[in-house]
This record gives sequence, structure tokens and C-alpha cells, in this order.
Amino acid sequence: MEFSYEVKDSYAEVKADGRLNMVSAPKLREFVTDVIAGGSNRIVVNLENTAFMDSSGLGALIGCLKAARQAGGDLRIAAVQPQVKMVLQLTSMDKVLTAYPSVEEAFSND
Amino acid sequence: MTEVLASRSFRGLATDEAINDVHNDMDSLWLDVPFVNDMDQMTFTTAVIESASNIVQHAEPAAADPVELGVDITVAPLLLQARVSAYNAKPPFGPMEPATPGEDAESGRGLALIQALVTTVTFERQDGTNTWVLSRTSSQD
Repeated sequence: MEFSYEVKDSYAEVKADGRLNMVSAPKLREFVTDVIAGGSNRIVVNLENTAFMDSSGLGALIGCLKAARQAGGDLRIAAVQPQVKMVLQLTSMDKVLTAYPSVEEAFSND
Repeated sequence: MTEVLASRSFRGLATDEAINDVHNDMDSLWLDVPFVNDMDQMTFTTAVIESASNIVQHAEPAAADPVELGVDITVAPLLLQARVSAYNAKPPFGPMEPATPGEDAESGRGLALIQALVTTVTFERQDGTNTWVLSRTSSQD
């Protein structure tokens, strides 16, 4: 899995391309922790190119959400693909990690 | 006897690399059976990877030999089946029932997710091997 980030006007976009599984989940957590430590506490995780997520990947997203909130910000997800959407729904975590259609829309109302 | 239309088998040390190898095997398997619809492919792949990951993360060796992961997948008309095994492993400890973690928990959702993804999950232990048998009735529409 490949990670990258870009600081935008009011948030940082984190791209996670590939499979978000037990191998890459700790790396996502570490990557987002570093972005937050760098001063960005409003994070949008762009999942456009995340074709797969398992419960480890979901756990990492929840960990990143908690880290962003502890830093006084928030974490949102965008451009969710069908498999990821299915895992979010089956675990009822779609209520906690609200999926936005696009990165731009994630923080557009606040 | 049920006709097997396609299959894949993996056996190797229960490591991180094994998870990606099994996932690649499954991606190639679906190319052999394009009549299996996207939903069945997606749900079954997720269940198998969850089960294999559980072994890599939690299975403990029973003796000196390291734990090996085995994944045997068969596609038959209307049935997808996987035998996901931990060789040289102790019997699993703790509850085999799905947990109900709080919404801020970062782990503990795997077993419930597997059960939601497949039609049946059964567990067997024989000769030092723990095997989860996952079956999903395929709609093939």
C-alpha cells in the first residue's frame, strides 16, 4: 500500500492506495499520526484507490480518527469503494466513519 | 460429487507476506470463474483474508515448528468454499463467539465480520491443525 498526503486550505488529504489489511494497517496509523504531529488535525482519508479493507484496516481508521480528535480535530473518509463500504456497513461503523462522496466535500460544511 | 470449476491452494509460513500471497491467489482465481458475481467475489475474498489474518496474528505454535498457514479454495456451481488452516498450532484459546466491541474499539470485529460474509463457518481441529471451513452459497446471477 502507498501513502501520501497533501496539505490543503483547511485540512490534510491522506491518500491510501492499495489493500488496507493487517500488513498495511499499522503503517496507515503511523503515517496519519505523523501528519497530525506535523500540525494537521483535520484529516480526509481519500479511499478512492483503496480496493480492499479488512477489520485490521478498519481498526486503523478508527485509531486515526481517535488521534485526530485527541488533537482537537477530526478525520473523515471520502471516495469509498464498494468493498470498503460493505465492511463499514456490516460492522455498523458507517455511523462512526461517515463516508463523503469526494475529498472536497468532507469538510465543506464546517 | 460436486464439480470443482476452479481452485487455489496456498501453504507457507504464517507471515505478513502470506496474506498478500493469498490475496493475489484469490484475485487470479476470480479471473478463472468470471460468472461468479462481484458481490460473491468481494464477500468471499474478505472472509478468507479475515480468517487468514486471524491465524497470522493470533495462532501460536504448539511446539518448535512455526505455524504455517494453509488456504484451499474451491469454486463449485453455486458454492464457494475455503479451508483456512493453521498447521503446528495450539488449539485456539478464548471465546470462539463473535465479540461486540464498542464503536471506538480498534480490534475485535473480525469473527463477526466473517460470519456476516459467508453462509456457514465451521471449525475443526485434527492432528495439531486448526481449520476454519468457510462456505458461501453463490448466486451466480
